[in-house]
Amino acid sequence: MLDARGSAAAAAAPLLAVQGLTKRYGGLVAAKDITFQIGAGEILGLIGPNGSGKSTVMQVIMGIQRPNAGAVRVRGVDVAGWPSHRIAQQGVGIVFQHSRPLHRQTVLENIMLGLLPDKLLKLVADRHVRERARAIAERVGLGGVLDRKPGTLPFADLRRMELAKAIARDPKVVLIDEPFAGLTASEMDSFARLVADFRADGRAVLLVDHNVKSLAALADRVFAMYLGERIAEGTAEEVTRDPTVRRVYLGGGIDVAKRPPRAAGDAPILQVENVSVLYGKAQALEGVSLHVHQGESVSVVGLNGAGKTTLFNAISGLVPYNGRIVWNGEELHGRSAAAIARSGIVQCPETRELFGDLDVRENLDLAGQHLPAPEASRQLEWLYLLFPRLRDRERQIARTMSGGEQQMLAIARSLMMRPKLLILDEPTLGLAPVILEQISNALEQLRSTTSITVLLGEQNVTFALPHADRIYVLDHARIVWEGEPSCFAAEAAATYL
Amino acid sequence: MTDTLRGLLGSRQVWIALVLAAALVTLPWMVSAYILGILTIAYYFGVFAMSWDLLFGFANEVNFGPTFLIGCGAYAAGLLNAHGAPVWACLIAGGAAALLGGVVLAVPALRLSGPYFGLATLVAVLLLQQFIVIFASTTGGEIGLTMNDILSTEPITNYWYALGFMTASGLVLFTLSRSPVGLILQASGQDRIGASALGFNIVKHKLAAFCISAVFSGLAGAMLVFYLGTASVGTVVDVAVGVQVIIAAVLGGRRTILGAAIGSIFLILAGEALRPLGQLSTFVVSGIALLVILFFADGLMGLLLHRRGDT
Amino acid sequence: MLAVQILIDGFAISALYGLGAVGFTLMFGVSGVLNLAHGATMVVAAVTAWVVAGQYAANPWVAAIAGTAAGVITAFATYYLVVRPIQRSRSVPAAEKEIFVLTGTLLWGIMIQEAVAYFYTDNPKTVQPLIAGVMQIGGVRTPINELLIAVICWTVIGLLWLLVNRSKAGKVLLAASINPRALTLLGFELSQVYLQVWAIYGVLAGIAGVLLATFLGASSAQASQLTASAFSIVVLGGLGSVSGSLLAAYVVGYLETLTAYLISPAYRTVPALILLVVVIYVRPHGLLGRR
Repeated sequence: MLDARGSAAAAAAPLLAVQGLTKRYGGLVAAKDITFQIGAGEILGLIGPNGSGKSTVMQVIMGIQRPNAGAVRVRGVDVAGWPSHRIAQQGVGIVFQHSRPLHRQTVLENIMLGLLPDKLLKLVADRHVRERARAIAERVGLGGVLDRKPGTLPFADLRRMELAKAIARDPKVVLIDEPFAGLTASEMDSFARLVADFRADGRAVLLVDHNVKSLAALADRVFAMYLGERIAEGTAEEVTRDPTVRRVYLGGGIDVAKRPPRAAGDAPILQVENVSVLYGKAQALEGVSLHVHQGESVSVVGLNGAGKTTLFNAISGLVPYNGRIVWNGEELHGRSAAAIARSGIVQCPETRELFGDLDVRENLDLAGQHLPAPEASRQLEWLYLLFPRLRDRERQIARTMSGGEQQMLAIARSLMMRPKLLILDEPTLGLAPVILEQISNALEQLRSTTSITVLLGEQNVTFALPHADRIYVLDHARIVWEGEPSCFAAEAAATYL
Repeated sequence: MTDTLRGLLGSRQVWIALVLAAALVTLPWMVSAYILGILTIAYYFGVFAMSWDLLFGFANEVNFGPTFLIGCGAYAAGLLNAHGAPVWACLIAGGAAALLGGVVLAVPALRLSGPYFGLATLVAVLLLQQFIVIFASTTGGEIGLTMNDILSTEPITNYWYALGFMTASGLVLFTLSRSPVGLILQASGQDRIGASALGFNIVKHKLAAFCISAVFSGLAGAMLVFYLGTASVGTVVDVAVGVQVIIAAVLGGRRTILGAAIGSIFLILAGEALRPLGQLSTFVVSGIALLVILFFADGLMGLLLHRRGDT
Repeated sequence: MLAVQILIDGFAISALYGLGAVGFTLMFGVSGVLNLAHGATMVVAAVTAWVVAGQYAANPWVAAIAGTAAGVITAFATYYLVVRPIQRSRSVPAAEKEIFVLTGTLLWGIMIQEAVAYFYTDNPKTVQPLIAGVMQIGGVRTPINELLIAVICWTVIGLLWLLVNRSKAGKVLLAASINPRALTLLGFELSQVYLQVWAIYGVLAGIAGVLLATFLGASSAQASQLTASAFSIVVLGGLGSVSGSLLAAYVVGYLETLTAYLISPAYRTVPALILLVVVIYVRPHGLLGRR
């Protein structure tokens, strides 16, 4: 009986060996000097928050991006810089985060595609192709839906089809991006078993995800990244206990400063009732309810893919939803996104959405167009006091500014509209600690000098806690915890990482 | 082989096409020589449109200048014929010239993305047109080139040639679209990254699709000028002709191959039927085509098949 | 003297090309639409001016205004009858909306062209020059109208520049061409922005059409050629770049004029075409385009 977990990996040379991998996008270093190996019958978990570089690493391995430096050896052959199709032919299969079926073809045909050779004159498929496709479909659990089109399948089956396509060529290396996103608990179990089967086949599997928790049961080893660099490597327990990892995800010790008491209003000004959102087949939000009082600062905490952005987009009227959202006593359903913004709910999105080719002043002026001129200039002055850096860079083109400065501009631009409710989606993403402090101070000032209501979405708990009167924890499209910051450490933190 | 055959026989499209073909075969005994002549042109047009649909519907590349390929084929055949070559040799030369032109255009053009590919194909047509006009002494310029031979003097014979050619081409192109090659093409067109990740060299397959489209377009163009007896810019090169090809394919139903043929027949017959309206005929036909695009995005074939994720 | 002639003629024709191209590229930059009914729109403006001047014996300036108004009406018709329905259609998949809009505007352009030809024949229509007479420049007799055309075109372009860079509404248009989603987040209704763009486009195309009628004459048969010219110039300059279009218009205008005078009028369009081919392969985003 071969114990696939240990001896196979130790005995053979690694199937996938990444060495010194570096990838730059202009001035941004997405991945720096990444080195790891995966042997046959091994599962490596690659984790990191958004912007950590894990997706970049995966894309480089598959040839979707070309590295600036480093080697990627698949069964000893360096494939770094090769085009995707050659890397696939060399024995690497990939399951993308988002399913990409051919909508006009049946499930069987979709899988057969993965079995076809890259030849121009294949007018007739080899006899065994159909049989093999059927066998693979049975293996992943799609035996009963072979003649259906992808549009009629549930979400989990689409993910199964992606798995089937990836292993069709019998790759020695399998890359899987966010294997469990959008799945229910029972679906996760059956998927985990499928992935474990890949390991039993003797393949090398790379699982890419946001946090250790989801991979802990499957991964033999975990490799953690942050801001493009390796921060920890080891077993799942070792990585969970690693102090750097804890600081990145939880911020080390979570001590919450005593907040000055606020006279919050009685009735909530924003009420989200049982809201659900479907993106195609994926359940992005399920039965989410929350409320925010006038003057409160509420944080919605959750990892990537938990549904924070979807929630904010529903409130801002950017995506359709089921359920009720009530603002100042009025239902928001049916109002245009621009009208909702004008009525006082202003969102500063995760992607910032700046006008890259315009300068700082022009970005701010656009936001202030709805205000009468004297008010607009007063608001501008106040914002320059809040973010002095912006005054210094008043005429600088937005897209040439650093990440931190762009974030400040994005927040300032939202504030320029004098919102009653400011929604901040992941303002600290990918920013250096020193900038975090500045933004943190600005938020504090906001809170102490104005009556603005803030809804903050963050995966960085250290940042979110001191700024919150109340916290909601969002996990896999559902609210799983609600309470005060002081209780968070005791009750919720354990399950968070 | 049985899979592909099963696929063909199982497809409603094929049955519709076969029924239509059977009906068309009986026409020489029922309509006048004039109508047969109109249909003859319509059938060649059908091949133009089907070739275009292979490229657009499957490889997802919009060719704004199908008449570049058609024109290469037509003029190559015409020029060769002017030097005394027999018809069959000219036809082969036409197909080969279009293939060559297609490769010369496609190899650099496929590197371009989005609207720029379409633009490159459009510019190719404009250049070909200028080329022909400038070298008018050889090519006959705007007036055109008179062919030394024609396919036949009998309208019925010409009709059979055209119908036969269209049916054969349609069969080949449709079978291609349903074969593994077609599957790979569709994947390359719909999802570049996904298809590459499955091990397919996208550029190679798109180039092949372009070449197939070129050969059929060129052959059809060559046959058309042997039917008409002249090769002129206005009939085989002009951008307006290319526009009609595109409209025919979209009107007939994109990504169906056979729909493109139906669209062409409809377009040309409609133009003819509305001739009494004089100048307004083009207006009405364009209007109908516009309405179809606005309200029946899947075209005539889509209407016939009551499209609901069906093919 | 030939040099001066070329200089002047080239300048005027380039200015006219520029005006047409600027409208075309603005439409693409802000709303993403390549309006293939562009030439037809210009022709409608030209023919309307001719009709008003001829049948109602109005003075050329009144005819010009009528023509421009016709351009605006045609633009709105294109938006409401063709472009908007396609963009909102649920049976067209998002990835194919562009080609449907292209085909739709193409068909619509043909319809307009044929309708104009039906009612007014496709003979070239000319409108009396807005200002009659000739003047001597550098020893060359030049119609004053030609100079006026250059002046009007540049004035309109200048006003457009002022609008986009100095007015509030103009800044919103500029922002829409950079990031429409951000505008929504800032409380601006994109539907209103698009209406404004179509209105501006209509004015630009209308004026260009009317001026063309006073200069070279316009006929419905030219509609597709006009669209093709504008398209090539815009691609040469860079899709979405207004300054690029202007630069390219002058490059093309002078190339054509030089070729017509020095080689032969029959080969007018060849050098520009070759340049276009080179640009597409070497620098697809055009002379001044982004990316």
